Amino acid sequence: MNAIEIRDLTKTFGQKQALSGLNMTVPEGAIYGFIGENGSGKSTTEKLICGLIHKSGGEIKLFGKDHTDPDVRAKVGVLIEAPGCFPGLTVWNNLMLQAANLSIKDPETQIRKILKTVRMEGAASNKYKNCSLGMKQRIGIAMALLGEPTLLVLDEPINGLDADGMRIMREVLTDVTQNHGCTVVISSHVLGELEKIATHYGIVRGGKMLCEMTADQLEADCRTFVALQTRELSKTRSLLCAKYSRVEEDESGYLRVYDAGSPEEVVTYLYENGILVSEIKTDKIGLEEYYIDLMSAKEGR
Amino acid sequence: MEKRFEHNGFGKRLGSMLKVDFRRLFTSRIFYIIVGACLVMPILILVMTTMMDGMETTDPQTGEVSVIEGFDNTWQIIGTVVSESDMNAMSSMGAMDGADSGTDVAASSDAGAGMDLMSMCNINLLFFGIAVLVCLFVAEDFRSGYAKNLFTVRAKKTDYVASKTIAGFVGGALMLLCFFVGALAGGAIAGLPFDMTGFGIAELVMCMLSKLLLIAVFVPIYLAVSVAAKQKAWLSILGSMGIGMLLFMMIPMLTPLNATVMNVGLCLAGGAMFSIGLGAVSNVILKKTSLV
Repeated sequence: MNAIEIRDLTKTFGQKQALSGLNMTVPEGAIYGFIGENGSGKSTTEKLICGLIHKSGGEIKLFGKDHTDPDVRAKVGVLIEAPGCFPGLTVWNNLMLQAANLSIKDPETQIRKILKTVRMEGAASNKYKNCSLGMKQRIGIAMALLGEPTLLVLDEPINGLDADGMRIMREVLTDVTQNHGCTVVISSHVLGELEKIATHYGIVRGGKMLCEMTADQLEADCRTFVALQTRELSKTRSLLCAKYSRVEEDESGYLRVYDAGSPEEVVTYLYENGILVSEIKTDKIGLEEYYIDLMSAKEGR
Repeated sequence: MEKRFEHNGFGKRLGSMLKVDFRRLFTSRIFYIIVGACLVMPILILVMTTMMDGMETTDPQTGEVSVIEGFDNTWQIIGTVVSESDMNAMSSMGAMDGADSGTDVAASSDAGAGMDLMSMCNINLLFFGIAVLVCLFVAEDFRSGYAKNLFTVRAKKTDYVASKTIAGFVGGALMLLCFFVGALAGGAIAGLPFDMTGFGIAELVMCMLSKLLLIAVFVPIYLAVSVAAKQKAWLSILGSMGIGMLLFMMIPMLTPLNATVMNVGLCLAGGAMFSIGLGAVSNVILKKTSLV
């Protein structure tokens, strides 16, 4: 069964069309990486899923039921924009409030466990307003995890997290999906981090879904390239450009040849033209480059 | 296979929402400040006006001398006694005019003789204080972003409206009771008489009961304005006070010191009507507008 199924979703804010017929399918148990430029409609879609704004048209189903079904919605955890906490209350009291909201039995035990999971057990007595951005983000994740949700909707949860925070986030999300059957929708601009955990992707642009794919499909779609280094970079580049259609230099100073048959073919070709290759490897483009390529293709660049 | 979700009825949902609201109410500083002010205010009013009673002031421009009149009786700060002839006069003057006549009645009544400005410095002012409490309470939900957590897991907005109405009512009732206790203490400190001419203990209880039930008329109004104004507390406070002002003058009429079961019944019916009617309005506002 699909955790989320969206058909022809539209949303207008006055004259502005934020979503124009968006379709989205999130399988149960997936970590769905929701990608798109600023203003592409990611947050709007997430707010619509959570019922925080009202759709103009279309259909949203959560676990086969309408998204307004109170029983389904009671099991949705959310972190959209900033965590919804009262600044004057302590971290503990904010979590206790959310536990009361979710009718959690034995809230103290669950809160202690979640605070330990997000490595915030030492900050329980801190006032929320005195917490740093990264701490607030972790508290937001803790709030979303309370009540063992079946669906987690996270909007830019990695923002403000340090390396340790990102690692914790990865561990937590992997754990809730693999061990507790939770489904996660996560939007982020930190694609490198998203790539490490997502099992499915949805790329949205201009209020429409450009494409949806699994991590395996993305892996297959991502082109391989040959990356090499020589002492005469400009001469090498000219030579390669004469034979191959796409040659680029990356930020590390490697020349990338995208349409080469094999590394041996490139080495032989350069050797025949008097160039010695000092280093060579084959690699694949990542999600970030795939996304940039896709966007460039859509813009006709 | 279809995923099974635990069914939560209205009772359970309301119960958990009430837990949130009461936890918030009783852990928020602003609530204790307001309730504390309600306790201290009547003491200050009664003691200070008694101290200034009979003092002469001269207008520097006209040279006119006026005498400051304090309270003659502690119960004046709670309400006024309305006689039958006053009620008839009021009903013939119409609803809005009746508002002014509420003060006139006070002036002509036994317990409320010579009140004028003093009649405004009484317990009825608390109905504006309740507006502040309700508006700040609701606005904080939206300002802090907690509304996202609330409404994500609450598809039915009825829980929120019902719970906020109950919490607002309880908060308002505590404010009213604190003011009453403060009035008793203030009267004793100022040495004012507790003269119960024209009413008895039973009527006084009915009067307080009517005032308590009348809170249920005002809270839904403030709640409807607050959910429309969302995080803009200033707008909801102004709007609530504006609308509250229109109904303010009915308070002395409906809740006199010599109130009867009829007054209690009227306030109960009004409270129920406003809570259900305006509760539905608040519900529609929440359903039709963006919650973030």
